[in-house]
Amino acid sequence: MSTDPSHFLSNIIGSSVTVKLHNGVKYAGVLQSIDGFMNVVLQNGTEVAGESSRTYGDVFIRGNNGMYE
Amino acid sequence: MSTLRTEQQSQEPLDLIRFQLDEFVLVKLRGAREMKGRLQGYDSHCNMVLSEAQEFIFSEKDVEPIVKKTEMVFVRGDSVILVSPSTE
Repeated sequence: MSTDPSHFLSNIIGSSVTVKLHNGVKYAGVLQSIDGFMNVVLQNGTEVAGESSRTYGDVFIRGNNGMYE
Repeated sequence: MSTLRTEQQSQEPLDLIRFQLDEFVLVKLRGAREMKGRLQGYDSHCNMVLSEAQEFIFSEKDVEPIVKKTEMVFVRGDSVILVSPSTE
């Protein structure tokens, strides 16, 4: 059992996650892949901004915008 | 072991953008802007070149966004928030 961040991130590939951006918007979806820049691809990504939501098929989120999962 | 590794590498997020080359994409940008266009190229900074592009500038709610059409446009990567396949 490892708590090393990069291990953690590769272990949660395939599970459903929420990514919060600096601008307050959240994206929920199935984590398809992640790299060293923390670029993220979500499958069936859903944007949650206040009460409005919007869905995308696959979503690529550039690493610098993500805060946490 | 080594095959597993190459599989993982080919599944990196930026490689997944490659599948969208020559397809219409929606790029969400900083400053309440969005860009739709055909993806001609990109790099690791997420710099992108889009053709047949439309830029949408959102101001207030319930106000129609300003639309600017450009035949070919370069988008600097640092303003990119999100890239997704476009329905158009």
